[in-house]
Amino acid sequence: MSSSPKPSNDADAKVKAKEQASLRVTDDDLYRHSSQYRVWSFTPEQLTQKRAEINARATAKIEQGLRAFRETHPDLTSEELAAIDEKAVPVSTDEELLLVSYFARMILSFAGKMNLPTEVAATAVSFFRKFYLSNSVSEISPKEVFHTALFFSCKSENYFIGVESFAKKAKTNPNAVLKHEFKLLESLSFTLMNHHPYKALHGFFLDIQSVLAGKVDMNYMGQVYTDCKKIITDALLTDAVYFYSPPQITLAALLIADEALTMRYLQLKFMITEESPTENAQGEKQEPKEGTSIPVPGQKLLEVIKECKAIISNKVAPPKEEAVKVTAKIHYSQNPLTVLDRLKRQRESNSTATTPGQTPVPEENQAKRQKSDGTTD
Amino acid sequence: MISQAEYSKEKKVGEGTYAVVYVGTKQSSNRKVAIKEIKTSGFKDGLDMSAIREVKYLQEMQHVNVIELIDVYMAQNNLNLVLEFLPADLEMIVKDTTILFTQADIKSWLLMTLRGVHHCHRNFILHRDLKPNNLLLAPDGQLKLADFGLARNMGSPQDFLTSNVVTRWYRAPELLFGARHYTGAIDMWSVGVIFAELMLRIPYLPGKDDIDQIDVTFRALGTPTDKDWPEISTFGTYNKIQFYPPPSREELRRRFIAATENALDLMSGMLIMNPHKRWDPIKCLTSQYFVELPEPTAPADLPQLNKK
Repeated sequence: MSSSPKPSNDADAKVKAKEQASLRVTDDDLYRHSSQYRVWSFTPEQLTQKRAEINARATAKIEQGLRAFRETHPDLTSEELAAIDEKAVPVSTDEELLLVSYFARMILSFAGKMNLPTEVAATAVSFFRKFYLSNSVSEISPKEVFHTALFFSCKSENYFIGVESFAKKAKTNPNAVLKHEFKLLESLSFTLMNHHPYKALHGFFLDIQSVLAGKVDMNYMGQVYTDCKKIITDALLTDAVYFYSPPQITLAALLIADEALTMRYLQLKFMITEESPTENAQGEKQEPKEGTSIPVPGQKLLEVIKECKAIISNKVAPPKEEAVKVTAKIHYSQNPLTVLDRLKRQRESNSTATTPGQTPVPEENQAKRQKSDGTTD
Repeated sequence: MISQAEYSKEKKVGEGTYAVVYVGTKQSSNRKVAIKEIKTSGFKDGLDMSAIREVKYLQEMQHVNVIELIDVYMAQNNLNLVLEFLPADLEMIVKDTTILFTQADIKSWLLMTLRGVHHCHRNFILHRDLKPNNLLLAPDGQLKLADFGLARNMGSPQDFLTSNVVTRWYRAPELLFGARHYTGAIDMWSVGVIFAELMLRIPYLPGKDDIDQIDVTFRALGTPTDKDWPEISTFGTYNKIQFYPPPSREELRRRFIAATENALDLMSGMLIMNPHKRWDPIKCLTSQYFVELPEPTAPADLPQLNKK
């Protein structure tokens, strides 16, 4: 956003002068002023660092807690100490991300069950994921935030539902929904506007029909649109949203849905020629077709879209068992005493085959069952 | 993150349904600011929608004719919006009979209003409450659109919007008919009414209630017919309203004595009944009215409120 003058060479200056000569504010200019670009666009390195810092902060706190626990329990047996060392371990950055992704997907299915508009679901996912770019899952449990994110998204996207009826539908209570609302707003740096790729999809959908007029079947286009919408929704759970603009993500989704169609469109629209066809295994390059030029900006666009495609092609859908494990890990690392309880119960159940004792955390129960009899539910 | 210590609240200057406004100072720069403290108690649904909208939309707009949101912070579980301090609004100027203003002054205020509206619309944001009271004036004379508590994104065609928006006197005919789909044209209507008010120095369409507003509007500007607005018969209430003929150009000239032909063209363009035909900000900003003399007054030279 900063427009502070930077030293620039002659070529830059020429480009600048040319830009200033045309005083039109472009859509790109407007996008660069959006909070989505100013506040929520990162390089992969920045994002990795952000997550590492949050994890380090939470880890330090947990380790401090574990040290304090050992100090206040000097009479622990070596077996107990070993159990604590094994079980009460802070979660890693990857595990945090896994849990966030798991709950982000849960938001989508919840929104689906509640019949909420696509944009509301998308914004809720965005809010939720951003929340964990300044908070750790071991500081505030995703379980406590995902309803909040969905409820707040309803309000922010002009789809108001009273908190009582929301809580009823979500099978929770109003206080739980509202508890972290302020924290959420603060974690979002008070920026609420989300530009999702769905709007861009609608635009490209119309433009493809006009650019390829008469060459595309309308029913087929409808299918492409539906497929793309699903791909975009999956893309919202990837980090592509922090690296690419909504139209770039949309074009990547189109590329996945129908590469031939999208390439034909891009060729006509941006004069791109397919100079390097999709990853030829032998590394052989096809000769560019005769008489076709390769204008650089179009080629650059294609490169960007292909990078984005590589990211969004990896569907983020962590299995429940993994999420359960991470949740249990968080619980043990923060409550080492429960590791000892667990140890005790294990010993008892080894002698008498009884049902697991009462524990306040259902995930922990599941984790235990999974561990002891090797099945999941 | 900027803490509350950065800002001091000095004097309470206003209180609305969902906020208390204070004049304060930004400590690091000694800049005078307005701090809108959002009330949080008594709202069972959590943070109020108006507050959410205000934060959401102001964060996206940096424009000389839109109020600047300097900062947002939490203190004692209250949400505080730090806004630029704007001591006057256009309503105060219009109502203050000791202030004389010229056609060039009106042109300047209208130009700044349209620039602000254009910026909202090109960001796909509807203001939905334009009125002289929400057009604030900075000490340097710049006019700024304020109060985004009713703003929203321009809807997709399939979205249902509420027609219960905009302060009554500035409400476009499609809203009076209860339209559930509308566009930036509703803001343009408001600007048209404000333009008329600046020239008349009294409210142009002061309906006493929602029913009267329909009557006052069509008595002044003529009842639309399905010839110039084909969709009009789809509004349920249309058949029940009184029919008035549109004013002749001569009648408009008599009502707006000082207005030039180009000024009347612009005003009439913004007050076209059919929202599809109503002028948009670009058409208004590029109209002859802004080309012809007199030039708009430089903001710094505009009339100011008399300091008591």
